[in-house]
Amino acid sequence: MAELDFERGLERLFAEAPSFPDAEAFASRIEGRLARGWNMRSWLIGTAGVAGGIVGASQLIMSNFVHRVEDASQGSTKLIQTSIAQVKPGFDLLSIVQSDWMVVWVASGLAVIAMGFVLTKVIEEI
Amino acid sequence: MSGSQQTRLASLHDVELATLAAAGDRSSFGELVRRHGSGVRGLLRRMGAQGAEADDVAQDAFLAAFEGIAEYRGEGAFAGWVKKIAARQYLRRLQREKRLAALALEAEEGEPGSPVHADAAGRIDLDEALKTLGAAERLCVSMCYGAGLSHGEAAEALNLPLGTVKSHVKRGLEKLRTRLAPPGGASLEGSRANG
Repeated sequence: MAELDFERGLERLFAEAPSFPDAEAFASRIEGRLARGWNMRSWLIGTAGVAGGIVGASQLIMSNFVHRVEDASQGSTKLIQTSIAQVKPGFDLLSIVQSDWMVVWVASGLAVIAMGFVLTKVIEEI
Repeated sequence: MSGSQQTRLASLHDVELATLAAAGDRSSFGELVRRHGSGVRGLLRRMGAQGAEADDVAQDAFLAAFEGIAEYRGEGAFAGWVKKIAARQYLRRLQREKRLAALALEAEEGEPGSPVHADAAGRIDLDEALKTLGAAERLCVSMCYGAGLSHGEAAEALNLPLGTVKSHVKRGLEKLRTRLAPPGGASLEGSRANG
C-alpha cells in the first residue's frame, strides 16, 4: 500500500510542470513552424494541381478530343433538330448551340479547371 | 491572434482544441502548446536532456503531434499523449546519435546527494532528487512515471530486456524514496496538497 502511495505521489510530482520564463516564446516558435510548413504545403499542392491541370489539358488536345467532341456535338444537334422538326417544323432554337468551336473550348476549359480542382483535393487528402 | 479568439480558445477543453486542430486550426493547437509545452519540456529535462536539446525535441514532438492529431481521440489526457510522443522522440534521437547504448551501460550512480527536504511551502524538488539517480535509472523512472509508459513499452522503446528496465525502475524508486522521504519532513503525499 505504501509502495502504491509512493508511486502515485511520484506520478503527481512528475505531472507538475516546471515554469519556464520563455513559455510563450516556445509556443510562438512552434506556431511559426506550423505556419511555414502549412504555407509550403499549400504551394506544393497548388503547384501540383496546376501541373496536373496542364498535363490533363495537353492530353485532351493531343488526343484530338476537341474534334471528336465537335463531331459528336454536331451529330447530336442534327439528330435532335431533325426530331424536333418532325414534331414542330420551323423550330430553330438549337441553332444557337451550333456556335460549335466556342462551346467546345469553353467545355474543355471547364473540364481542365475541374480536373485541377479534383487533383488538388486528392493530393490534399493524401 | 485577437484577444477575443485567445479568450475563446482558453475556455475550451483539450479534446475540443484537439478536434479543431485536427480540422487544420493551427491556433487551437497553439493553445495546446501553451498549456502543455512546459510539461513536455520539463519531462525531457527529467529524462536527462540538456536545455537546448530538450527544447528541440519538445518542438519536434509537438510538430509530430500536430501531424498525428487525428489519432488522438480524447481517450486519455492530451498531456500524457504528447509526453509519450516526446519521450519516444528523445529516445530515437539518442539511438540515432548512438548515445542510448552508452547511457544504458553507464554507471548506476548519479550525483551523490543528501536527502531532498521539502521547502517552507512543503514543495519537494523532484529535479534535485532525480540527479541522484544513474542515467539509465533516471530515464526508466521518468519514462514510466513521467511519460506514463508501461514497463513493457519502455523496454521496447529503449530496446532493453524487460527485466533490465524493471531493475532500473526498482533501483531508481528505492533511491528516490530515500531522497524524497525526509524523516519528520513533509511526505511525498503531503507535498501536492501544500504545493
